[in-house]
Amino acid sequence: MRLKLKWGDVLVTITVVVAAVLLYYNFYEENSASKTAVITQNNAILDRIRLDQLTEHYTINYSGPYPGTIEAEHGKIRFSHAQCPDQVCVETGWITRPGEIAVCLPAGVIIKIEGGDSDLDIILK
Amino acid sequence: MKKISTNGLLIALAIVLSYVERFIPLNLIVPLPGVKLGLANIVTMFALFYLGTISAITITVLRCLLSAFMFGGMSSLLYSLSGALLALLIMKLLMLGYNKIFSIIGISMGGAAAHNIGQIMMAGLMMKNTAVYAYLPVLLLTGLLTGTLTATVSLNLFTILEKTGSVKYIKTGK
Repeated sequence: MRLKLKWGDVLVTITVVVAAVLLYYNFYEENSASKTAVITQNNAILDRIRLDQLTEHYTINYSGPYPGTIEAEHGKIRFSHAQCPDQVCVETGWITRPGEIAVCLPAGVIIKIEGGDSDLDIILK
Repeated sequence: MKKISTNGLLIALAIVLSYVERFIPLNLIVPLPGVKLGLANIVTMFALFYLGTISAITITVLRCLLSAFMFGGMSSLLYSLSGALLALLIMKLLMLGYNKIFSIIGISMGGAAAHNIGQIMMAGLMMKNTAVYAYLPVLLLTGLLTGTLTATVSLNLFTILEKTGSVKYIKTGK
């Protein structure tokens, strides 16, 4: 078996890069003054937090097969503890910009930061 | 009998590879969570090149199932299956153009990309939320690198195996 780079390889590379760039711009959001973190679990909204208006430490726990804790401070939010096997969510660390996400797949929890204005501040359910 | 034992051996190998690769500190080079080397794809490619599609499918499905059973990731079974099966499909398709259009690097990169896409698509479906796609650009780009890496390893491995006559290259038409 000999290795010679073929034109198909280049095509694959270019296709993947283009797809990645297009997707990136699709999700890119301007860094805005108002930042709202939306926490959903299996597409049901658990919480909306105005990160830019947060003055103190804020935590929220979620339940389910893999419970965990999310903590938020001014301008940032993260998974602080999770009982899922892979811990990818916790390893993601703090997210700060609109458009950024942190996900715990086993738990079905997504944290997404949205920019722009929102009429709602903190909703406690 | 020989087929069963060969497939069984490869399933075991794939499981071990996917377990052990978690311990490689990829974080030092690529500080991104969720990025995997995907060493199990080496086994998949081996099956596609030398054992045929049915073996490849069997090995892929069984290694995902057994990995999930053994390493407590039943919840992630759906995601690993969707990634691995899509990768298998794409690599099989790319193999049709092997040596004329694609080299093993292209096939491997395509497999890596398809694996990530499959997993993200399943995640989007399961959580009924397209926000997860935001992570795909990162995964796609790192996939190009890991795909090249696994291709290099595979190439060296397959070359040695072919030289010692342990395997015979099969036509991609199978």
